[in-house]
Amino acid sequence: MKSNRRQFIKQCMLLYGSVLFLPSCRPSAAPVWYSGFTAQEASAIDAICEQLIPADDYPGAREAGVIHYIDKLLYQRFPQHKQTYRQGLAGVEACSQALYGNSFAELTGAQQIAMLELMERGELPARYWPQTTQKAFFELILAHTMQGFYGSPRHGGNKDYVSYRMMKLDYPLLIGQNRYEK
Amino acid sequence: MKNKQLSAIVVGAGAGGGVMAKELAQSGIRVTLFERGDWPSYDKHINDELISQRVQELGSAFGPDWEKNPRVVRHDDGSEQLVTAQSYAYNHVAACVGSGTVSYGAMAWRFMPEDFKMKSVYGAVPGSTLADWPISYEDLAPYYDKAEQEIGVSGDMSQNPFAPNQHQSYPMPAFEYNRDGAFLDGVCREMGLHPFSIPMLRNSVPYNGRAGCIRNRTCCGFACPIDAKNGTHNTVIPTALATGNCELKTNSFVYHIETDGRRATAVSYFDADKKSHRLEADIIVVSASASETARLLLNSASSHFPKGIGNRNDWVGRNLQGHAYTGASGLFDFDLLDLSGPGACVAIMDYNHHNEGIIGGGVLCNEFYQLPYAFSQHRPPGAPRWGKAHKQYQRENYHRLGRMIGPIQEIPNFDSRVMVSDRVRDYWGVPVVVNTGSRHPIDEKHCNFLASKAEAILKKAGAYQTWQHGGGGGMTGGQHQAGTCRMGDDPATSVTDRFGRVHDLDNLYIADGSLMVTNGGFNPVLTILALAYRTGEHIVNQWSV
Ligand SMILES: Cc1cc2nc3c(=O)[nH]c(=O)nc-3n(C[C@H](O)[C@H](O)[C@H](O)COP(=O)(O)OP(=O)(O)OC[C@H]3O[C@@H](n4cnc5c(N)ncnc54)[C@H](O)[C@@H]3O)c2cc1C
Repeated sequence: MKSNRRQFIKQCMLLYGSVLFLPSCRPSAAPVWYSGFTAQEASAIDAICEQLIPADDYPGAREAGVIHYIDKLLYQRFPQHKQTYRQGLAGVEACSQALYGNSFAELTGAQQIAMLELMERGELPARYWPQTTQKAFFELILAHTMQGFYGSPRHGGNKDYVSYRMMKLDYPLLIGQNRYEK
Repeated sequence: MKNKQLSAIVVGAGAGGGVMAKELAQSGIRVTLFERGDWPSYDKHINDELISQRVQELGSAFGPDWEKNPRVVRHDDGSEQLVTAQSYAYNHVAACVGSGTVSYGAMAWRFMPEDFKMKSVYGAVPGSTLADWPISYEDLAPYYDKAEQEIGVSGDMSQNPFAPNQHQSYPMPAFEYNRDGAFLDGVCREMGLHPFSIPMLRNSVPYNGRAGCIRNRTCCGFACPIDAKNGTHNTVIPTALATGNCELKTNSFVYHIETDGRRATAVSYFDADKKSHRLEADIIVVSASASETARLLLNSASSHFPKGIGNRNDWVGRNLQGHAYTGASGLFDFDLLDLSGPGACVAIMDYNHHNEGIIGGGVLCNEFYQLPYAFSQHRPPGAPRWGKAHKQYQRENYHRLGRMIGPIQEIPNFDSRVMVSDRVRDYWGVPVVVNTGSRHPIDEKHCNFLASKAEAILKKAGAYQTWQHGGGGGMTGGQHQAGTCRMGDDPATSVTDRFGRVHDLDNLYIADGSLMVTNGGFNPVLTILALAYRTGEHIVNQWSV
C-alpha cells in the first residue's frame, strides 16, 4: 500500500513534470520534477493539500494538480515563500516522526487531519518550527491550496476546471479569458 | 488659443489627472500628462481569478508592478514591515492610464450635503481632525453634473428621497436589477426603506460612441471587454489628446518637483529605460492618488521646503482615510445568484446620516461578485475553512448567499498617515511610501451599526443563517484612499486652498483624492472627478489673461 502510493506519486510526477516543463522553458535533459522542492517535500505537500481539499464526489486537490500551482508559485513568482515551505515542511516531518514514527505522507487520513487541526490552532510543539511558526506555514499552504484549486488552470492547478464543475459554473466565466486557451 | 504659450504638467493619469489634462488642454494650455504605468490594453494585460484589481494574489492586473514598488508598513510598536500588493496594507489603487477607473466597480456617488460639513452637523470628535470642507455640496454640484455627462453615468434617483439630485436625470437610464438585486429591493421596500438602482459610470445604453453594457459579472476588478465601462482612459484622456495640446508620457515616473520658493518650476522623471529627465512648466498639477501625491511632495524637500513641499505645518500625508467595508451575509435555501453583472445594483441611502448616536454612516449595496477563490475566503464565524466541510460549503452555498455591504464614513485622525521611508527605496532609488497609524476607534461603533442594519435586511429576507463582517480598527487607505493633502481655508490646518492650490506656492495644484477633507459614506470617485473639473476650470480662469 505504502510503496504503491510512492510509486503513484512518482508516476504523477513524471507525467505532470512533462506537462509542466515544456521543452521551450527548460532543457529536457535533467529529470527535475519539481522546481521548488524535493520529492520527499513534494509528497508531504501533496498529502497536506489533499487533506485541505479532499476528494469526495468531486476530485480533490491532488487530482486538480494543486501541487503544480504551488511549485510554479514558488519557483517563478514568489520564491520568497520557498523558505517558509522548507522550514514548515521540515517541522511537519519531524513532528510527524515524533508523534507517529512515520512520515506525514504515510500517516492515516485521521492522523493527518488531527495533525493539521492542531497546526491550524498552533497547538503542536513549537520546537519543530524554530524559524517559522506552524500557524504561519499552515495559513500559507491553506491559501495556496485554495488558489491552486479555484484559480485558473493556466497557473497549474484546477485541472480540467474541476472546481468550476463542482460549483456548477460554466467556464470561462470571465468573458475574454478564453484567450488563454490554445 | 489665447493660452497657447502656457504649459502645464499633470502627474498621474488616473481619475483626477485625466479630467485635469482635458480641462487644461481644451483651454489651449500645452499639457504634458505623466503616467508611471502603461495604457491598459485589453489583449495585453492578464486577468483571471487570481490576477485582477480586486483579487491580487498573483499580481495586480492594472499595476503597479509589485517587484519594483515595495512599500513599508510601520506598526504601532515602531516595527516596520516590507509589503507588496499581495501582502498587508499596501494601499494602492492602480498604475495605468485611467488607474482605478479602468477596473473599478464604477459606482457613481454624489456625496450628500452633510458630507461636506461633518463638523457642523455632528460637532467635534475627540482625537479626530474632523472638519467641514471649505466648499459645500452646492459649490460642487455643477461639476458633479459635468462628470456625469462627460464620463457618462446611468441611473435614476427619483425613488431615492435621500439623493441630493433626486429630481435631476442622468444622461443614461438606470440599470435593471439582477436576481438578488430585485429580491433585496423588495425586502427593503417591505421594511419601509428606499432602495434604488445604483448610479453607474457604465453605459446602460450606447453612449459617447461606445457600446452598452453586456452585463458581464466579472466587472469590478477587471477591464471591460467591450469598453462599456467609463473611465478617464476612454473619455477625457482621449479628448485631451485629440486637442493636439496634450502629450501623454506613459511609463514615466515623476520623482521630484523643483521650486524656487514661490513657484513650482520643473519636475524630474524617469522614462521607461530608467533614464532621468527634467521638464519645466508654468503650472504643475499633482494627481498621483492620496498615497503617491503625499509621497511626491515629501520627496521634493529642498532648502525652500525642508520638510517637503506644502508641509510647513506637517499636514502632508496626514488624515489618510479609506473605507472600512462593513455589512452582513446570509445563507438562503434557494438560489439567489445569477450571472448577470456586475452584481452590485441595488442600494439604500437610508443610513448615511442622522442615525441615532452615529456620526455619519454609509450606503448599503448588494455585492458585486466573488469568484470561487474569493468565495472560499468568506465564511460564517467558526465554519471550517478546509476539509470535506469546506468543499460542501462551496458547492452548496455559492449560489445561495446574499450580502449587503457598504463603506462606512471614517472619522479622520492625524496619525493615520503616509510618510516616506528613510531606509527603503524603490527600483528607481526613490524613497517609498510608509503607511502607518490606524482608524479612529469610533469607527468600530459605526461599522457595527451599519452591519446590524445589513443583517436585519437579510434576516427579513428569510436567510436561515446570517452574520456580520468587516469592522473598523486597523490601518486604512486602500482603493478609496483620500485625505492626505486636505483642502482648507486656514494654511495652518490644511495643505491646499479651496481650489486645490498648495498654500505655499502660486502654481502648484493637487487634483485627486488627497484633497478630500472627509471621505463620505460612499465610494469616492465621482467626487474626485468633480473636484478635478472644478480645479481645472479655476486654473484656466486664473491663468488665462
Ligand atoms: C477594483 C476597484 C474598484 C473600485 N470601485 C469604485 C467604485 O465603484 N466607485 C468609486 O467611486 N470608486 C471606486 N474605486 C476607487 C477609484 O478608482 C479611486 O477612488 C480613484 O481612481 C482615485 O482617483 P485619484 O485621482 O485620487 O487617483 P488614481 O485614479 O489612482 O490616479 C493616480 C495615477 O497616478 C499615477 N501615478 C502615481 N504616482 C505617479 C508618479 N510619481 N509619476 C507618474 N504617475 C504617477 C498612478 O499610476 C495612477 O494612474 C475602485 C477602485 C478599484 C481599484
